[in-house]
Amino acid sequence: MGMSNLLSVVVFLPLLGAVISALVPKGSPGAAKWVAAITSGLGLALTVWLVAAFDRTASGMQFVTDVVWVQQAGIHYHLGLDGISIAMLGLSSLLGLIAVIASWKITDRAPTYFAMLLLLQVGMNGVFVALDFVLFYVFWELVLVPMFFLIGMWGGARREYASIKFFIYTLAGSVFMLVGMIALYLQTGTFDMVELARLGAGGTLGLGFQNWVFLAFFLGFAVKVPVFPLHTWLPDAHVEAPTAASVLLAGILLKMGTYGFIRVSLPMLPDAARVWAPWIAVLAVISIVYGAAVAFAQTDLKKLVAYSSVSHMGFVMLGIFSLTAAGLNGAIAVMFSHGVVTGMLFLIVGMVYERTHTRQIADISGLSSAMPVMGGLLAFASFASLGLPGLSGFVGEFLSLIGSWQSTVIPHWMTVIAAVGVLLAAAYTLWMVLRVVLGTPSDVVRGLPDASPRELTALAPLIALTLVVGLSWSSLLSFVDPAVKALVAALGGAA
Amino acid sequence: MGTWTLIAPEGLLLAGALVALFADVLLPARERAGAWVGAGFAAIAAAVSVAAGGGTLFGGQFAIDGATQVARAATLVLTAVFLAWLAGAGLKRGRVREFAALVLFAALGSLLMAAARDWIVLLLALETATMPAYVLMGFDRGDDRSLEGALKYFLLSMVASLLFLYGASFVIGMSGSTLLAASRLQPGAIGVVAAAFVFAGLLAKLSAAPFQWWSPDAYAGAPSPAVAFVSSVPKIAGLFAFARVAAVLAPQTAAAGPLLVAAAVASMLVGNLAAYPQTDVRRLMAYSGVAHAGYLLVGLAAGTVAGAQAAVFYAIAYAVPSMGVMLVAAQYGETLDDLRGLATRRPWVAWATGLMLVSLVGVPPLAGFVGKLYLFTAAMRSGLVWLSVLAVVMSAVSAGFYLRVIRAMFFAAGGNAGPAARGSRVASAVVASCAIAVIVIGVASSPLMGALAFGR
Repeated sequence: MGMSNLLSVVVFLPLLGAVISALVPKGSPGAAKWVAAITSGLGLALTVWLVAAFDRTASGMQFVTDVVWVQQAGIHYHLGLDGISIAMLGLSSLLGLIAVIASWKITDRAPTYFAMLLLLQVGMNGVFVALDFVLFYVFWELVLVPMFFLIGMWGGARREYASIKFFIYTLAGSVFMLVGMIALYLQTGTFDMVELARLGAGGTLGLGFQNWVFLAFFLGFAVKVPVFPLHTWLPDAHVEAPTAASVLLAGILLKMGTYGFIRVSLPMLPDAARVWAPWIAVLAVISIVYGAAVAFAQTDLKKLVAYSSVSHMGFVMLGIFSLTAAGLNGAIAVMFSHGVVTGMLFLIVGMVYERTHTRQIADISGLSSAMPVMGGLLAFASFASLGLPGLSGFVGEFLSLIGSWQSTVIPHWMTVIAAVGVLLAAAYTLWMVLRVVLGTPSDVVRGLPDASPRELTALAPLIALTLVVGLSWSSLLSFVDPAVKALVAALGGAA
Repeated sequence: MGTWTLIAPEGLLLAGALVALFADVLLPARERAGAWVGAGFAAIAAAVSVAAGGGTLFGGQFAIDGATQVARAATLVLTAVFLAWLAGAGLKRGRVREFAALVLFAALGSLLMAAARDWIVLLLALETATMPAYVLMGFDRGDDRSLEGALKYFLLSMVASLLFLYGASFVIGMSGSTLLAASRLQPGAIGVVAAAFVFAGLLAKLSAAPFQWWSPDAYAGAPSPAVAFVSSVPKIAGLFAFARVAAVLAPQTAAAGPLLVAAAVASMLVGNLAAYPQTDVRRLMAYSGVAHAGYLLVGLAAGTVAGAQAAVFYAIAYAVPSMGVMLVAAQYGETLDDLRGLATRRPWVAWATGLMLVSLVGVPPLAGFVGKLYLFTAAMRSGLVWLSVLAVVMSAVSAGFYLRVIRAMFFAAGGNAGPAARGSRVASAVVASCAIAVIVIGVASSPLMGALAFGR
């Protein structure tokens, strides 16, 4: 089997698992989670194999598959990986498995639940490897359906509202992407994303055309990120979603938006990207500060993490639209690190909630007195989140700020405000740690069992990655950098 | 090769209808035998229609090209599938054989409509397809609402036919021939009036705005199986005939484009917004039908072959899930309350329904998405960018009311137990096959689009 077929297997293996899981007979609901664990585990193993076989020195696409899908419309089944997508695919495969482990205790309609979780993986994996625009859109939208059901069927009290809001909000964004995609096709005659990027760098598209297509894509991607003021679906969806869905929502789905900017908006519409960059940077800075400020005010731990995501994703946007190599490297590092660290935070919040049935910060104070391991891990994840040097969160935000300072399109004062956002993140995170981990033990937490081996299994790979990436940036950036350099070169060529 | 094989499917349907009608004489013990017989005849007719190939009959009044074949085959397959469902699930008040015969007569009219290349033949076909539908909509003789709905449908449909005939009479007079291809509109107001009347008649048959107001009342009163058929299957041939007529008339009068665009905009807005407050699935699907008529008109407004192809494709991509959802409603209850908790009672039926609803929203990779991709590509190629933007926004809006049905089925625990689910295996298989078709048409759209070749 060629390595390019392996990529298709990685994408569609969860689909097979989803079908098998859905067909699990009523008598043995426990089998579904094993099906999910085995397929996700196998998927992760194959992804690791891809990572090992990946040539880090090359900037182009590797493991490419390209066959005609719909001849009349010029749609291809076209997959491939570069350094940016392999980082995201790795994250997606890892969090996919962790989401399954985190759902081990789900017994309510378990076959359906795990089928949805696996179907979600198909969409997530697919988005990061699709090189045909229609295929990209298919995977992009495919994600909506299982997430809608996961929130709506297994979510919290306001799950119906949150799930429908999530679905309609993101669908409304992405239909504009569809229009932009068709416009680009009519202009260039191709849906091939590599070819579109080449045409974009060649400067064949007029600025006026680029501008409005850019706007259409912006609506599609920015809702997903989410960028202020399109973020309002996020707190609802995050808070109501079951733990595993929150992990994937924050860990992967938000990254799909920023990935879209990197894979689509920048290379295909470089001139428009230059025009819009300062304005998007303004929104990014607002997201950073606003997300942090609102996080301060939260009394619900899960909401706090949700709003902190808005803030962190602001750094990603700032890094991307600095249009510099440092900024883009930083953006991808934040994407990766935020996926790992926020995944960890949501897992821990979920674990605490399973025991205490509350997420109110005031109710669970003094966690470490009853659960020293869990409290310690929460503190660890929080430090990683606020960007403590030596942990994974630091490198990305640092490089994003460097990039935005170097950038010729972003004024320095914006970088300064964004840097204040780092301080704010430290403040609200430490304040949370102070109250939850160290505060006087509340009645609720007293006598609760500490982290179980299964829970530690789910967290262990994330802890390891946080340390590895934090201590050795190049372990991640050596994959990403060649692709980023090529992208920046193409952007420069268009200027 | 005898060209008479071209019209053999019509003959088979006629024979099937007559056999079904007299099924209780031939097979007195089996109430539902008529439906089985009809399904068999329709299935054979579908095979014959594909095998017969293309050609022309009756001096060009009746012609079949690739696109016509697709429209006819799709109509026949869906008719066969519908009759199989009918045979499996039966009707609450019996009289299955009459129902089956009427369905076959309506399908017969639809087949003729797709192949008609002559104004008079087209009118006759239109009437043949519509008249059985009046009876189907008023099938519950004892139910006042059903009769009221049927009467509304009858009156508006008659008016629509007359509008069409009135317009057609002008066209025939101006061109001196009844053949569609020979139609010549004179410049000036008279051409506009003729085209407007013809379009108005066809818009009403398609339940497009501003002639949509009959459909919610008619559907809500009618028995659900009748709605399942009438709201979906005849629309394929209806849209196809519309595409033919528009292709002939639109290039000859500058008013045609704006008329189609206006009808498309009105249909999309009215359909999608009015569907929101509905709690009866029949009314909801009635407005959904209006909205989808709007998307179809976007394709016709493009005024290109690609637009017409996309519209025919989308008519099929709409008809399959629309029929499937209504069949589920026919079996498990027409209000959202009836469907509450269906996912617990009949999980597979609920998932199949959910899939079809999601396709109607236009989520990839399902049929509805691919159809919309073709439609909007064609429209944007013709410069109708703003219309496409409106259409995609309306697609996102439509998610709201389709999701309400999904919410009732999946998110509400238990709910009202609903009418005892009649677990007919055949009926479930039909619903499942509709859902599978939605996936297959979406993922493998290439053969279908390739077959949609428009000749003269």
